[in-house]
Amino acid sequence: MSDMSDIPDATAPPALEAVGVTKVFPGVIANAGVDLALRRGEVHALLGENGAGKSTLASILTGLYRPDAGELRMDGAPVTLKTPRDGLERGIGMVHQHFRLVERFTVTENIALGDKRLPWRWSAAKVRTEVEQLAGRYRLPIDPDAIVGELSVGERQRVEIVKVLYRGAEVLLLDEPTAVLTPQEADALFVTMRALADDGRAVVFISHKLREVMAVSDVVTVMRDGAVVDDVRTADTDPEALARAMVGRSVDLSTRWARSAPGEPVLKLAGLRLDAVDGRGRLEDIDLEVRAGEIVGVAGVAGNGQRELAETIAGLRRPDGGTVQVLHRDITGVRPSQARMAGLAYVPEDRLGTGLAPSLSVTENLQLTRSLPFLIDRRGGLAHATEVIERFDVRTTGPGAAVGTMSGGNAQKVLLARELDVRDGLTRAIVVAAPTRGLDVGATEFVRDLLDARRADGCAILLISEDLDEVRALSDRIVVLSEGRIVLRREAADAEVTELGLAMAGQATPNDAPDEPSQGPSGGPYHEPGGPR
Amino acid sequence: MTSWFGRLRLEKRNAPGTGVLLLVPLVSVVAALLFGAVFLSLIGLAPVAVYREMLRVSYTTGYGIADTLVSATPLILTGLAAAIAFRFKLYNIGGEGQLYVGAIAASGAALAFGDRLTGPAAILLVIVAGALGGAVWIAVPALAKAWLGTSEIITSLLLNYVALFLMQYLIFGARTFWRDPESATFPQGARIPDATRLPTLGTTRVNLGLVVAVLAAVVLYLLLTRTRIGYRWRVFGDAPAAARYAGIPSRQVIVVVLLLSGALAGLAGATEVAGRAGRLDPTGLALNIGYNGIIVAALARYNPLAVIPVGLLLGGVLNAGPALQTLPGARVPVAISTMLTGAILLFALAGELFVRYRIRMRDPADVEELAEQATTAVASPRAGTGPEAEA
Repeated sequence: MSDMSDIPDATAPPALEAVGVTKVFPGVIANAGVDLALRRGEVHALLGENGAGKSTLASILTGLYRPDAGELRMDGAPVTLKTPRDGLERGIGMVHQHFRLVERFTVTENIALGDKRLPWRWSAAKVRTEVEQLAGRYRLPIDPDAIVGELSVGERQRVEIVKVLYRGAEVLLLDEPTAVLTPQEADALFVTMRALADDGRAVVFISHKLREVMAVSDVVTVMRDGAVVDDVRTADTDPEALARAMVGRSVDLSTRWARSAPGEPVLKLAGLRLDAVDGRGRLEDIDLEVRAGEIVGVAGVAGNGQRELAETIAGLRRPDGGTVQVLHRDITGVRPSQARMAGLAYVPEDRLGTGLAPSLSVTENLQLTRSLPFLIDRRGGLAHATEVIERFDVRTTGPGAAVGTMSGGNAQKVLLARELDVRDGLTRAIVVAAPTRGLDVGATEFVRDLLDARRADGCAILLISEDLDEVRALSDRIVVLSEGRIVLRREAADAEVTELGLAMAGQATPNDAPDEPSQGPSGGPYHEPGGPR
Repeated sequence: MTSWFGRLRLEKRNAPGTGVLLLVPLVSVVAALLFGAVFLSLIGLAPVAVYREMLRVSYTTGYGIADTLVSATPLILTGLAAAIAFRFKLYNIGGEGQLYVGAIAASGAALAFGDRLTGPAAILLVIVAGALGGAVWIAVPALAKAWLGTSEIITSLLLNYVALFLMQYLIFGARTFWRDPESATFPQGARIPDATRLPTLGTTRVNLGLVVAVLAAVVLYLLLTRTRIGYRWRVFGDAPAAARYAGIPSRQVIVVVLLLSGALAGLAGATEVAGRAGRLDPTGLALNIGYNGIIVAALARYNPLAVIPVGLLLGGVLNAGPALQTLPGARVPVAISTMLTGAILLFALAGELFVRYRIRMRDPADVEELAEQATTAVASPRAGTGPEAEA
C-alpha cells in the first residue's frame, strides 16, 4: 500500500471491506483470499481480464454469492449478506451491464418497482420528486415521466444509477458501465461518479479499459486468476504497469498504423443503399474504398447500420442500390460463397452462432466457409485443425472439442484462423466486426497482431466496431456511421476522440461528411483533405 | 445447517461422455420397468413374473425373436424418420400419417403394376412408391415451413388424421381400387401380387424390410457424418445463422430433410404392406408405429445407428403385450406395453437432464480444502494468461 496521507478518512474503517474472500466453483477458483477495501469518497477501479474474478467478487460484495471463506465488513463490523436485496437494504447497490428495467414502465415506475418501503397505494408524485432531486444533485439528466422503452442506452443507464441511489446505496458498483456508451456519455458518467464519491459514497468501477481507469479512479485493484495482484493509488501507476499486472507479462496494445503506403483499391462500395421496413439500421449512399494494405475503421454506436453494412458486403443481404466490388469484380448481391470466391473474408461480430456452430468441433468449424468435396476429407481436416491449434495457440482439449465449450478468446482464434488464413492466396479483402469484443487483454493483443500482419500482407481490411478504442488502435482511416450514413471521414492520425464521439452521437454538421475523394493507386501522399475543423 | 438436499447442485457438463450417453437410456428403461411394476402390483400381478414372461416371449424363443424382428422393422424406419428430422430441429410429428400414405401408395402401385413385373423390379416398385407416398404427405408442411415459417409440428400432426381417414375410406368407405371385391361382409384390402411381396427368411415372417431398415440406418449415418450434405445439415441444425453466413441454403435443407423424413416413414408403410400384411390393412397399420418412432429416435438420441438396437428393444416390448394376453391363466392387460413405452420415453426425456448436467453434493469440508489449494496455487507465479473460464 502506498502513501495514504492525502485521504481525509484514511483511518476510518472502509465502508465495505472484503477480507480473505474465497469462492470456489467446481474446477475454477473464482476468488482466492481476496482483500478489498472500499472507502467513502473514493472511486475504486476493479481491473482484470475476463475470468479474473471481478464479477464473482462483485457478486459477493452485493450478496448474490456467499463467500466459501473470508468475510465482509461494513464500517468495520462483519456482515453476512444473504441476497442482493439484503445487500441493497444495507446500502450496497449494483448497476449491471445488462439493464434490469421494465420497458413499458415510466422512469418513476421503474425506480419505485420493488421498493418495499412504499405502501400498497404509493404516491408517484412523491417518488418523482425524489428522483428529480437525485438526478439534479448528481447531474443525471432524466425525465421521470419518460417511458423507459423509448430511452437511449445512456439514459437507461442513468435510470439504473438513480434507482440504486433512490434505495439509499452508499456503496455503488458499476459493472463495465462504459461498454455501451459514446465517449461523451462516458465522460458525463465519470463526472457523476466523481460527484457521488465527493458526496461521501464509495464507488466501484469495474472495467478492463485502462484509459478509463486512469482517467476516473483514485485507487486501482488489479485481479488475475482470482487473486489480487496489485493494489495501488492511480496517481502512483501508469497504464503499462496496470496492463502488465493484469496479464502477467508486458503487452503491446499501442496504436498500430500501416508501415507502408496503401496500394490499389481492393474493396469498393459505391452508393450502397439498403431500405428497411422499420426505418432502423438502413444504409444510405455508402461510398467507401479500402485499399490494399490499409485498415479502414467504421465507428458508430450500436444499431446504426454496422451489421447491415457488413452483411451487405458479405452477400448476406441484397442491397436496394449501389455496388460492391472486390478487385474490380462486381459482387453486389451475390451469394456469400461467391463473395468468398471473389476474395472476400468476413468475420461476423456474433462469433458463436453465426461465425461458428457451437456444438460442432474445431475441425468442422474450420471447414465452414471452405468449399468441400462430397466426401469430407476427415484426415486432412483433422491435420489442419491440429496445425491451427498449434499455430494459433488455441487452448482446447483437442480438434474434436465443440467450440461452444471453449472460452471466447479461443473460439475467436478458431474463427480468425479460418477467415484470416490467407495462405491460400485467395483472400484479398476482409470485413471484420468487433473482433476483440469480450476478449481479455492477451487475446486482444493476439487479434490485433493478426490483423496488423494481414494488413502488412496487403489485405484490404474493413474494421467495424462499436468500441472506439478498438477502431482507433488499428485503423489508418476512420469513418463514422450514424443512422446508416457515413457522417465523418478522418485520417486516423488526425482523428480526435471528441469529434468522433460527436459524430457517433449524430451531431456532426453536414459539411463534415465529404464524399470519398477519388484517389488513384499511385495517389501521392497518403492524405485525404480533411473537413474544416 | 442446510439439509443434504439443499447442498445438491446442478452443474453443466462440458461434453457428455459416451458412458453417460449409454447409461441414460438404460437407466430410463429400468426406471420405466420399476414404474410399470407399481401398476402391475396394484392389479394383483407379480411384476417379476410378467417381465420374465415378456423377456421370454420376445427375446428367447425363435418364434418370439422373429416376431420381435418383424415388429422392429417399421419402428426402425419411423425411428429414422423422426431421428433425421428432430436432429436438425425439424419436428416432423407426422410419421404416422406418412406411414399410412406410404402404405396406400405402395399397395396401389403393387395392385396397378405388380402383375407386369417380376423379381427385384417388382419389389423396387413397392419400396419406391411407399417412399414417394410418405414424401408427398410431408411436402406441403415442408414447403410451408421453408417459405412461410409455418410450424411443421402442427401441420404434420394434423395431416395424420387426414391420412388415417383417407386410408379407412379406401377400404371401409367405398368400393375402391384398394378394396378386395370378394370381401363383402367384412371389407379388407385386396391382396397384392406375390411378385411384389418382400421375400422372407426361411419359414419365419422376418422379411427383406429388416434389411432395408438396417441399410437405411447405415446409409443415413454415413451421409450425416462423412459427406458434405450431412455436414451442412448439421451446421443448419446447430446454428441456422451460421448456416446462412456460410451460404448454406436453409430452405433447401428444410425441404430436403423433411422429404427424406417423410420418405422413411412412407417406407415403413411399404414394408408393412409388402412384408407383414400383403394388403392395405387399416386396422393392422394403425398401431401408432409412427408415433412410437419418435420414442425410438429420442432414446437413440437421434443417432441413426442407435435407432437399430432401440427399435429392436421397443419392438420386443410392443410385441410382448399381445403375446402376454394369449397366455392361459394370467390376465395381463395388453396396455402394459403401451404404458411401458410411454414410461420409457418420459424417463428418457427426464434423463436428458443428467446428460447435460451432473449433480454434485457440496461438502463444506471439500470447499475449504479446495480454497486452500486455490490460495497456494495462485500464490505461485504462473506463465501465460492462465485459464480464461469466466466463473
